[in-house]
Amino acid sequence: MAYDPRRTNSGTSTPQPPPPPPASGMAPALDPADSYKLKFCTVCASNNNRSMEAHLQLSGTAFPVISFGTGSLVRLPGPSITQPNVYHFNSTSYNQMYEELHGKDERLYRSNGILNMLDRNRQLKWGPERFQDWVPGIPRVDHLAKGDKGAAGTEGGVVDVIITCEERCWDAVVDDLMNKGSTLNYPVHVFNVDIKDNHEEALTGGKAILDLANRLNGAAVDEHRIHGTEGWENGTGAARQSFDENVPGILADWQEKYPNLPALWTVAWL
Amino acid sequence: MAQAPDVGDQIAQLNAARSLVLGDAAFYPQIVNGILPIVGASTRLELRRWGANFLAETFASPVLGVEQKEQLAPNVLQTIREILRLPETDITVLQSLVQASASLYPLVFRHIVNHPQDSTTWENMCEIKQEILKKMDDYPCSVKLCCAKFLQRVVQVQTHSSGGDPRRPELNETSLAVVPRNHSLLSIPNLEAESSGLLDRLLGVFQEETSDALLVNATINLLPPLIRTRPTIAHKIVNAILDFIPAHHVRPPFTPTVRVSVKSMERTARALLWNILKKNQNHPLAPRMQAYIERLSQSRLEAAEDPTRKRGLPNEPTDGLDGAKRARLNAMPPPMMKIPPMAPGPATYDSLFTLTEDAGLSSFDVKQLPFDIVLKIVVPLLSQVHDSTMAQAVEAVRTRYQTITREQTLQRQQQQQSAGQDDDDDYEPEYQPMDAASIASEENTAVAEDLADLQPSLGPFVLPKPPPLSEEEAGELGRAAAARVFGMLTAAEASAGPARGQAQQKLGFARLAGSASDRDAWSILLIRLATRAPAGLEPPPNADSTVRRQPTIADSIRETLYRYVLEDFRGRLNIAIMWLNEEWYNDRIQMKSAAARRNPSDEESEPTVVIHYDTWVNRLLDGFLAYLDGRDIKVLVRFLSEIPEITIPITQRVASLAKDPERVNLCVQSLMYLIMYRIPAREMCLNTIEDVYQTYEESRPAAAKVLKKWRPDSTVLEKTEEPEASAAPAQPEAQPAVAAEQ
Repeated sequence: MAYDPRRTNSGTSTPQPPPPPPASGMAPALDPADSYKLKFCTVCASNNNRSMEAHLQLSGTAFPVISFGTGSLVRLPGPSITQPNVYHFNSTSYNQMYEELHGKDERLYRSNGILNMLDRNRQLKWGPERFQDWVPGIPRVDHLAKGDKGAAGTEGGVVDVIITCEERCWDAVVDDLMNKGSTLNYPVHVFNVDIKDNHEEALTGGKAILDLANRLNGAAVDEHRIHGTEGWENGTGAARQSFDENVPGILADWQEKYPNLPALWTVAWL
Repeated sequence: MAQAPDVGDQIAQLNAARSLVLGDAAFYPQIVNGILPIVGASTRLELRRWGANFLAETFASPVLGVEQKEQLAPNVLQTIREILRLPETDITVLQSLVQASASLYPLVFRHIVNHPQDSTTWENMCEIKQEILKKMDDYPCSVKLCCAKFLQRVVQVQTHSSGGDPRRPELNETSLAVVPRNHSLLSIPNLEAESSGLLDRLLGVFQEETSDALLVNATINLLPPLIRTRPTIAHKIVNAILDFIPAHHVRPPFTPTVRVSVKSMERTARALLWNILKKNQNHPLAPRMQAYIERLSQSRLEAAEDPTRKRGLPNEPTDGLDGAKRARLNAMPPPMMKIPPMAPGPATYDSLFTLTEDAGLSSFDVKQLPFDIVLKIVVPLLSQVHDSTMAQAVEAVRTRYQTITREQTLQRQQQQQSAGQDDDDDYEPEYQPMDAASIASEENTAVAEDLADLQPSLGPFVLPKPPPLSEEEAGELGRAAAARVFGMLTAAEASAGPARGQAQQKLGFARLAGSASDRDAWSILLIRLATRAPAGLEPPPNADSTVRRQPTIADSIRETLYRYVLEDFRGRLNIAIMWLNEEWYNDRIQMKSAAARRNPSDEESEPTVVIHYDTWVNRLLDGFLAYLDGRDIKVLVRFLSEIPEITIPITQRVASLAKDPERVNLCVQSLMYLIMYRIPAREMCLNTIEDVYQTYEESRPAAAKVLKKWRPDSTVLEKTEEPEASAAPAQPEAQPAVAAEQ
């Protein structure tokens, strides 16, 4: 788990704001107040590496984004494969983890990239959250107040798109949403983008997720613009298709560009 | 407040209000009632969007209590109804309004259960419901999704729940169970019937011929609450899923989008079944669910060729020897063989194939080993030898061989060039095709080009002409060929079955000889082989009898045919008749052509032709007459009537039948048939009858009858009149009986 040396902010212990992601050129220059944004949610097993990399990428492009883990506990690599560092979700902050590991063996956790990762994470939000404990619709105003990156727009506690980073996370998310009973009557697209759990793959996967997000948001903005004034009955052809209808096609196109990141999709309910 | 000029400012204010309620749910009643006039039916799209969205959020919010929502509901319903009635056309507004309605429906239903007098609210709710149900199918997909969710809510509310406590309805979730039987607005049977219909409508998405993955996935994902809490309909829902095979509900072309759709539907259906199974391992439908999951996983295997499914190998060119980033194959890098240069000196097969530098090994004579030991060593060795090692060795030998060939070609070229042009006269291309190409080019071409020339210069290979066949050999082969055709005849007979007769009947005169591959076709072929093919090739019958010819192929076929017919003369009578007709026809043609060939000046040399017909008709008769019994009248009559010509030898042979007292009638009746129906042969047959009458005592009653009728003035009749007078009257019945038989 060597931390990606290409990252500009890697290897520095001094906190510094996350750099604008390489894809920052894609960020729409529109005034966020009147530009429509889909709300995203990224999910991986421990809400540390892959989901947080994607969280960084998406929030860097001013998308509203929240992130979760589906595991029962947060597991980080330890001195050996049988001695992982285990933390509870929702109650342990990234900062706590950082301080603890820093105290335990700074050299080890620096060299395997864990400290750098936690450092990045603690600048994005307070701590890892468990997906199964999330109650959709509970306002997340406090997250905004705490300065979580990507919190703007997610105050209502709902998201339009969930992107998981592993198939079993997707299974867990879909299953959990079924159990939650879809009380909000709010549709949500659940994607999986299969990313291996290492820093390099997380970085490329995060960029791919950002690309997917941009494509989806583009379609949603189009829907708002096209149907905004004349109404859907006046559109023609593809323009008449709503955002939701375009999703399978968008994913198929995206998949052709990223054949190494096998994707899955469904429409679930919050 | 509604007159605020700038929409942007208004939205900002509204957002501030939203922030307020998100921070403290206690402000909701105040804010909701406050915004309703601003975002109502008559306002701008931006405001309607914001309002609809806010209402959906409000009534979905888990932080706002049920009672507060219930209190807010009546006013909101009025607004929603008005906006829907516009009619609203914006997708976002519609989506939010349907979402809000889905959240409101259980609330309002519960409110009405407890407040039967509030008919206005119920009226509004029903109006909204009807509006949604009516327009659902015309809405864009995004709205349809939310409509499906609305349906689910209505079905959930209007179905009986399980495990509720009717004594404490306030603790139960909203369902039909909380409706009092005597409710003034809510009629349980009507509601139940409606929900049943709506459930069918909801599940109808699984019966569409072409599935919309969006709707299917959304529907599957909203089913778990129904399955979990509504046992009365759970079975029906699960069955609908089990009958739904996503791959059957798509149409080609299978674009990436369609593949994404199928995969998503399969995975979503699987997720639902797992969700059910996890909660109840002993579900009555568990075996079917597991079978379905199994089937889905198989169908996904079928689609496994889809390159997008699996993480492929890295795209960069993989150098098998680049240790830094090599794909993990189950193999070591192929060991490189060291190929020593070929031993100097003249090229031998030994040196060509020697790939080792070990002097001891290369001088070892393998021939010393017994063959079976070599086999024992070589077979296991071959199975263990590494593919690439084998390929390298073969390649090495091939390279060596090509080098040698090239050198030899060059040498030969040089020799020919030094020999000069005069050699060309003796040049035989058949024998040295390789040289032909080299000389033709006449250029000292580069070695590589020469090599390329080698292939085409080999030329086409022509088999040498076989030595001419002797007459005996030719005859032998001809007989073998004929025997082979006879083989077909018996084979066709064995496999023919009843279809043969039918086909023949159908074709009738339109039949073409040999056009089918049945027995008749093969026999026609044989017959014509015998009669026509060698016609005129036979030596003249008056040729020198000392050089008496061998039996010709035609004769051998005839002989075989003869034996073939006699083997089963009753069944193969038609072949015999066909054959004899052909023979007769051939004889005629032969006679005609012989007459035409006759030299008019040479009167003495009468052209003669061998008459096959007489020979073979007599042989055939001799062959089978002995085997005819008294009841074979049909066989004999058919034969006699269908052969082309009746001759005296034939009638004599028939007459001989009368020797046997049992076959007298056979003889007389067949002759009588010929007398009656074969006019040219009448006289001949009457004469025969007379002979029979005179010769055989037993034939007299029958023969006399015939003679009396056809030759009443016969002399033989008078001579023997007296002794037979008494027997005569008994005969008249016999004649019509015979005639009828024909």
